[in-house]
Amino acid sequence: MADEATKAWAALDRKATAVAEFTLRQYRTRLSTWVVVGCVAVALGTILLFYLQAMSEEVVAVDNDGDASDPDGDGYPTGQEVSLGTDPYFALDHPGNFDPPVAPDPPERWIDEDGPSFSNAVVLDGSTTFGVDDDGDCSGADVPERSKDSNGNGEACDIVLRTTYSGASYMLSDGAVDEDPSEAALLPEVTHRAFLLGYGKLGVVFIVGIFVPLFLASGLIRTEIASGTMHYMLAKPIARGEVLLYRMLGYLTLVWPVSAALVLLSAVVTGLAAPGDGWLRVSDLGLWLAILLATWLALLVYGMLFMTLGVMWRFGIVLAIPFAAWEFGMAFLSMGLPSSPLLRVSVIGWCLSIIDAATRLVWKDHDLFVAYTSDGTVWGSAGPPGEALAFLTSNAPFDLSPTWNIAIAVLVLLLQAGLIWLVGAALFNGKEIA
Amino acid sequence: MMPDLSQVGPAVDPAAPVPVDSKVPAVVFDHVSKTYGRIHALSNINLAISGGVTGILGLNGAGKSTLFNLLMGRCRPSSGEVRLFGIDPWKDPSPYARVGFVPESEKLHDWMTAGDFVATFARLHGLGREQAQAEAERVLTFVGLQENIHSEIGRFSKGMRQRVKIAHALVNDPDLIVLDEPLTGCDPLARTTIMNVVRELGRMGRTVLVSSHILHEIERITEQIVLLHHGQVLALGNVHGIRARLDRIPHRILIHTDDANRLAKTTLDLEHVHGVLLPGEGKVEILTHDLGAVHSALPSLLVNGGFNVHRIDNPDDDLESIIGHLVGGGGA
Repeated sequence: MADEATKAWAALDRKATAVAEFTLRQYRTRLSTWVVVGCVAVALGTILLFYLQAMSEEVVAVDNDGDASDPDGDGYPTGQEVSLGTDPYFALDHPGNFDPPVAPDPPERWIDEDGPSFSNAVVLDGSTTFGVDDDGDCSGADVPERSKDSNGNGEACDIVLRTTYSGASYMLSDGAVDEDPSEAALLPEVTHRAFLLGYGKLGVVFIVGIFVPLFLASGLIRTEIASGTMHYMLAKPIARGEVLLYRMLGYLTLVWPVSAALVLLSAVVTGLAAPGDGWLRVSDLGLWLAILLATWLALLVYGMLFMTLGVMWRFGIVLAIPFAAWEFGMAFLSMGLPSSPLLRVSVIGWCLSIIDAATRLVWKDHDLFVAYTSDGTVWGSAGPPGEALAFLTSNAPFDLSPTWNIAIAVLVLLLQAGLIWLVGAALFNGKEIA
Repeated sequence: MMPDLSQVGPAVDPAAPVPVDSKVPAVVFDHVSKTYGRIHALSNINLAISGGVTGILGLNGAGKSTLFNLLMGRCRPSSGEVRLFGIDPWKDPSPYARVGFVPESEKLHDWMTAGDFVATFARLHGLGREQAQAEAERVLTFVGLQENIHSEIGRFSKGMRQRVKIAHALVNDPDLIVLDEPLTGCDPLARTTIMNVVRELGRMGRTVLVSSHILHEIERITEQIVLLHHGQVLALGNVHGIRARLDRIPHRILIHTDDANRLAKTTLDLEHVHGVLLPGEGKVEILTHDLGAVHSALPSLLVNGGFNVHRIDNPDDDLESIIGHLVGGGGA
């Protein structure tokens, strides 16, 4: 029995590799394959240029809390006067009157002095609290005690991140905590994360995931039937469902390595230009792997679907257009309203949820980071990149660990592919090919 | 159980064929009809074929291709049952392990070499990579393409392409070979080669089905024919019986040549020729009761006489006039 099973496996496997190998070689000889791959590479490369440009722009430090200003014109910046106990609004009261006199600091020294420290965040009563008042804006002796806990969570001089019943989060800060971070450190990080999510979700998973199969998978069966070369394969002892499966296998042996190469290249290019320590930022590798996983699954499910549409009807690919429009809408819905149940009847919704879950694994501080950088009441300088990052960041669909969310999404996508294959095989089996 | 990626060693033993039940005929059509909308492509076909070479004759649209489509599981019969080695080919592709099919379509994978093409399809029989290569070499040699194993199919002549198709059908040594119009568009040399291959297969005890709309081609291959007309079996059996009825009416051979007068004189001396006409400038028309005999004598006569021949036509000798005789009993 085991022997029989081994033989069956081997025979099946030989058919599979034969058809897959044939399909791959067929792709290789077609110019259109390389045109599609080239177009995708050029498109992604162009988007990457925008990233490189954004990263090369110099970030201007902004004095968010006015510590670098000198309202009384005595030459001492406010921050220095406050820290030494003189009145920043009275020109005759300044540290120059001290014995010995203190020289005025250059104002630049007081521009960025109180940034967030996400690493000291703690969860208290279900809400996250963090914040360190480096410059005494909140914890100073002259600040009234009641102002030190204006968010009323019992902790003095912190920022609290709360989640409403609808899932939205909002920040409440105790006075002037962490209100003046270093733009040079924070803004590139915001831009970097927003780019990675946007590029990964829309550029790679959606564009590559839907356009490549549209051009490369829809003809897997259709063109073979139209050109009359399908006869050779169907006259061999191979079931039609197997033909579908093995053609798909051949398609995947082309598009999976190609997409892996594109993702890897993107990871290296952004890694080199990214903010952070070292000449290559490797800490985002996990996110790139998630983007690749989501892309591979999108290529599989969409490929299976477009191939099946091609089996169904000679012009079946026309049906791909409303479908692609639906998926496009779902891609945006997954960012705007990630809790929508509609997303569960899409492909892209599940694909993007892999990235959303992985975001939490790769960037442990991501939710705090997004809340901090997108909330104008705490820090005013994030602006458009902060809003973009908040839009591109979504919650994974299930209230489980990120790993579980990824596992469920992968399983669902594989099931979708399997289901489409069953439908495709049934359609193909019932099709008369004269 | 790991996937067998190394492809070394035997998979299913290709040498051991699916057990042949000699009681089950290779091909059975049991009251088979096939309609496309209101068009009756085949009506009530009853056939059982096993062993030897059988010619499926019929005009275009007689139902030959439909017959093969049903046999190859590409179409479902509207009524009746089709059996390939006792199995319904529409539902189960397993009998194709013992069948080789040469489609009429001239489309091939032009970008492949002949060896790769044949080996690829050999692997669908469960052969490993190496075995498939050896098998491809064997069958391509059998059809006389051993010199062209490593050439691209796109550069082949029509006859060579036809032989590649035949070779691909012969992998795994099938018990049944189905050839759909294999001689169409081939040059004389390729025709002869293909006919020899088909005859050889018949001698090897295989069941061979060859379709054609040209009676003489089939006659040179086999005596056993099925004559299809308007989706029905018009005649079935030995070609001589049908032939005898047809030879009572005279046949014409029309030759286009530069020196018609000299050719007319020469052909008059041939046996079986009972009249020669000169219907127009550069044309000679020969009348005969035995088309086959004259056709076999003609080539040497033309070559020895040094005639410059442009074209040879058999105006009556199309299947149409023969079927006309069979259906109407009179002239076409």
